[in-house]
Amino acid sequence: MSMFEDIPVDVGVIYEGERIRRNDMHIELGGPDIKEKFELARVKKPEEIEDGKITIVRPDLKDMQEGKSYSFGILIEVAGPQLEPELEGVVERRIHAYCNFIEGFMHLNQRYDIWMRLSKKSFQKGLNSFEYIGKVLHRLFKSELPIIEKMQVTFFTDPEKVKPLYNEALGIYEARDARARGLKDEEVDRFYGCALCQSFAPTHVCVITPQRYSNCGAISWFDGRAAASIDPKGPVFAIEKGELVDAEKGEFSGVNEAVKKKSLGEITRVWLYTSFGYPHTSCGCFEGVAFYIPEVDGFGIVHRGYKEASVNGLAFSTIADSTAGGRQVDGFHGLSIEYMRSPKFLQADGGWKRVVWLPKEVKERVKDFIPAELVDKIATEENAKTVDDLKAFLKEHNHPVVEHWKEAAVVIAEATPTETREEAPAVPVITASTLPLTAGGFKIILKDAKIYAKKVIIHSEKTEKKGESIAKK
Amino acid sequence: MSKKGVHVKVDEFKTDVGLFKNLELSIGRIVEEKWAEPMGPTPFPEITTLRDWDMKLLQRYKPFYLPFCDVCCLCTFGKCDLTGDKRGACGLNMAAQQSRIVLLACCIGAATHIAHARHLVEHLMEKYDRNTPLNVGGLNIDIEAPVTRLVCGIKAERLKDLEDALEYCEKQVTHLLSATHTGQEGSNLDFESKVLHAGMVDQVGMEIADLAQISVLGFPKADPEAPLTDLGFAAADVSKPTILVIGHNVPSSVGIIDYLTDKGLLGKVEVVGICCTAHDITRYSSMAKIVGPISWQLRYIRSGLADLIVVDEQCIRADALVEAQKVKAPVIASSPKNCLGLENRTENPSEQVISDLVEGKVPGALILNPDKVGEVAVETVLKVAPKRNKFSIIPKKEEIIKDAQECTECNECMRACPNNMPIPKAMKAAAKGDLNPLADILEDCIGCGRCDSACPNDFPLHSFIVKAGEEQLLKEKFKMRVGRGAIQDVEIRNVGGPIVLGEIPGVVALVGCANYPKGGKEVAEIAEEFAKRRFIVVTSGCAAMSMAMVKDEEGKTIYEKYPGAFDAGGILNVGSCVSNPHIAGAAIKIASIFAKRKLRANYEEIADYILNRVGAVGLAWGAMSQKAASIASGFWRLGVPVIVGPHGSKYRRMLLGRKDIDEDWYVYNARTGEKVYVGPTPEHLFTAAETKEEAMVLIAKLCMRPNDTSKGRAVKLTHYIDLHKRLYSVMPDDIHLYVRNQADIPITMKDEILKILEKKEWKEMGIPDPTLLPRLIRKTKGE
Repeated sequence: MSMFEDIPVDVGVIYEGERIRRNDMHIELGGPDIKEKFELARVKKPEEIEDGKITIVRPDLKDMQEGKSYSFGILIEVAGPQLEPELEGVVERRIHAYCNFIEGFMHLNQRYDIWMRLSKKSFQKGLNSFEYIGKVLHRLFKSELPIIEKMQVTFFTDPEKVKPLYNEALGIYEARDARARGLKDEEVDRFYGCALCQSFAPTHVCVITPQRYSNCGAISWFDGRAAASIDPKGPVFAIEKGELVDAEKGEFSGVNEAVKKKSLGEITRVWLYTSFGYPHTSCGCFEGVAFYIPEVDGFGIVHRGYKEASVNGLAFSTIADSTAGGRQVDGFHGLSIEYMRSPKFLQADGGWKRVVWLPKEVKERVKDFIPAELVDKIATEENAKTVDDLKAFLKEHNHPVVEHWKEAAVVIAEATPTETREEAPAVPVITASTLPLTAGGFKIILKDAKIYAKKVIIHSEKTEKKGESIAKK
Repeated sequence: MSKKGVHVKVDEFKTDVGLFKNLELSIGRIVEEKWAEPMGPTPFPEITTLRDWDMKLLQRYKPFYLPFCDVCCLCTFGKCDLTGDKRGACGLNMAAQQSRIVLLACCIGAATHIAHARHLVEHLMEKYDRNTPLNVGGLNIDIEAPVTRLVCGIKAERLKDLEDALEYCEKQVTHLLSATHTGQEGSNLDFESKVLHAGMVDQVGMEIADLAQISVLGFPKADPEAPLTDLGFAAADVSKPTILVIGHNVPSSVGIIDYLTDKGLLGKVEVVGICCTAHDITRYSSMAKIVGPISWQLRYIRSGLADLIVVDEQCIRADALVEAQKVKAPVIASSPKNCLGLENRTENPSEQVISDLVEGKVPGALILNPDKVGEVAVETVLKVAPKRNKFSIIPKKEEIIKDAQECTECNECMRACPNNMPIPKAMKAAAKGDLNPLADILEDCIGCGRCDSACPNDFPLHSFIVKAGEEQLLKEKFKMRVGRGAIQDVEIRNVGGPIVLGEIPGVVALVGCANYPKGGKEVAEIAEEFAKRRFIVVTSGCAAMSMAMVKDEEGKTIYEKYPGAFDAGGILNVGSCVSNPHIAGAAIKIASIFAKRKLRANYEEIADYILNRVGAVGLAWGAMSQKAASIASGFWRLGVPVIVGPHGSKYRRMLLGRKDIDEDWYVYNARTGEKVYVGPTPEHLFTAAETKEEAMVLIAKLCMRPNDTSKGRAVKLTHYIDLHKRLYSVMPDDIHLYVRNQADIPITMKDEILKILEKKEWKEMGIPDPTLLPRLIRKTKGE
């Protein structure tokens, strides 16, 4: 027997990508034409909840006029001993996925921005009451999130009732965001790790803290917390923070231990807030990369969607290639956009003071989190397309890195290329060192010598990129 | 980049440093190496280099032979009966003989593409510049030739660099072909290993051909928004003089477009194409149009709409000249591989050839210079078209009805029809004046014309069928996105995660010829089904054309409805037959760009990665040719399963897994070294489906991989179960083999599946980091 035998339409993951066009829709809930709409999850005390109760503050679907848009609110109230208010956001975001599993029921966006449509076809099949939607949600939530012991759902479509609740919801979102953004790494004992990407980056372990989103931008500390408790065998696990080794760079004994274990000993130390030394590893699905530009002693940032060459002449894919695969590469740092909004963002390297270039699109998105005095000093593709342009721009706008330029010049002179390349060149058949024809003081006589080589490979000599070792200091 | 054969001989040479007497220095090859990636373990693999990997595959996916013919008649010992456990006079048994024929087919296929590539590269080097830089996608592509890098270990930067790889391919095919001689290879598994080798070098050959033409001829460069082109009988304005090009090798067609451009005649002459030349000429010029796939040759020639026909090579009807003569259209043959018995006029003055053709002194000419083909074709067609006045040999309706009344319903036509079309019945209706049943046949007809040959009354049955459906045919015009070429590195980076984690349930490649049992509409239906399910659908060749020939209620084809990006829900036409390596290349790039596996000459590891992690499946629904056989085998060796349509069983053998044998489905967990059961993922490497329903269920099933995360497996299972339930009306009977733990169960089917698992006494399994190669087991550092 299927879980949804009593639902008039099919329910399944395959409907997730279904789009319902205006011509095919029976009615619309929320959306651009409706100002007041919301979805909200709240954690309650068990006694406050009647499990499985579905309430409709009318009109119901069957009483709605075809082709019209309606005010809409959905309130999911849950209870369970392990449920904490911190997890409300996690529960709430599943409303989107679960609604979309329903054939002919589309859910777009989230929170106060939701936009849902019911298709004519599904309405004709009998999906004519919120009762059904509520049942589907109740069953899916309880089967997927066993930490929910009791759950009740209320649908609001009466504009008079939606309005006050909408205002209340806005307040709750704001408080929740403030709490989430305000939560500091110092204030928790546990971080979360994610090893999901190990299937393609076997030594990569994402460390997720309140102030550092996962590289992919998809998992916050709260999500990690929920995931680890819901599915203890899953890819997300708790990391006991342990001792603070270095507050500036973000080194924690617990993190080092966990990463060492999960990377099979490959990675032994991680500094969370810097791009140098022991930077966080990069997987393959990071949203953007911070890359060091030695010529200006600053960081460029390029995101996945940027199609042109970055300011250093390299495209995202090339830059991504130099850091992906679970490696720690000095000066290259795969990151999420959300991490750029964190006060810990590249903290040890100077944070935003060290960022010199990023695509306009990203700049717009994170503008509010860039210190006001720096916003205009950071270049985008509109200001600089080459490193020379960039130098000029930074100088003209007196970007903080400019002050370091003289200092840096000295460092370059001192820097010795100590790094050994991990990739040794193929061994050539003959090299100067094995056949020291040019050795001074000797005379070499070759008589009747035959040298035969099937193939000789000539490597062009590589010059060490000095910049990479500068900022280690 | 690479210089060959340096030899220095010095009798006596005195310097400050030393004295050299009789010094001979001989260097086979000097290679200037600019590529930082170190050489992998298997550069330019010989025919036995990857044999161990092949045997791993063949042990799990055992060859299952379907003899198409029970005897061997390849030498004068024979014919030898090989039925049962008999052996032939040379000692060969049935299994080895069947695999030997498969190898022959794959050698033919590989040789065809490699020779095609050789011709293209030499022609382009001569006409343009040996040093033309290779460019398939500008900034968006770093890995210009994933297959060539993987197999050969070279990084080609300029046109001339491709020669090393070509030489390698040619050498391999010669070795492989020699193994089919009487008294050479005796083991069927070794024949099979060689089949896989042929497929692999075939992929290199194809990649080179497409790389060269994309770079030099300015085809779309990995463009998701490659332009839409017109396709169909009504695609071109045939009131103008019309040149039809047929085949695969584009230079002569390019010659035509270039000549038209030079003379300011573009738009005054229509250039239409059939088969892959049509793909490639529309990648070259927006002025060219597509008639349709390989199966449309007879109907279009007989319709008389083409005033002149230019054939190059591959998949061209051997009777193209005979048919063209019937409609008084001159033929220009332009490839040394397909001379059609015509006199070689390459060195004759053009005016002379043109006048001979115009006056009908000769039915056609062989011209082995693409530019000259352009000139002669255009000048001839301008003069021939008015004289021909679209002369057609398609009979009038009344004639059909009259002939139909004389039909004895002997059923010979139906017997001859590869798809058993009910022609006698349709003739009976036609006798009564109803041509609709004949028109219905046209939709599914693959255009082989065997009915014509079979008819004891010598009725041109194929022409009858065409006439019956003509009204519709002449109205039809569809939109197809022209071949975009490679997949961008950035696209790979975007979808690499979701594919490897299983959130994009799979990459489905709908490729191959148009020998469909029930018409090309099925291909369109399959493509749309999987695009809707948010798979990535890639296509090429005749399949790419067929799927354009269906419109929805708004009159849109799937190319207008679905994006052309390599992303969930996209439908991408990569191009012609030789564009297929872009599909293999995408799988390879997922391993190399996304997962950072070393690419260079590292075949085994990459194939192991793809087999265990990349949910890609090929469907060659109408596969007909030997080329299709070698293309498929190139995918097998890389770990990509291929499904063929009902005619595909005539390839004589399948590579089938046995889900009932647990021992076959163990892999190493690379993190611990232990051997773990992972279920039959993917279940087969090569199998045939009888119906489109069966094909669809198989596609969904064969996308499962041992590495799927729980979320990914749940998504893949959902599609498999959903399609199975919808198309067979029951739950599949093997779900328990694919559920590893409770989180794998599709959330909307939990109760139902838990009950099934209980019945099957299912036990939870782990999800390993899977590999078949013990050397890839990771060592924990510091232990």
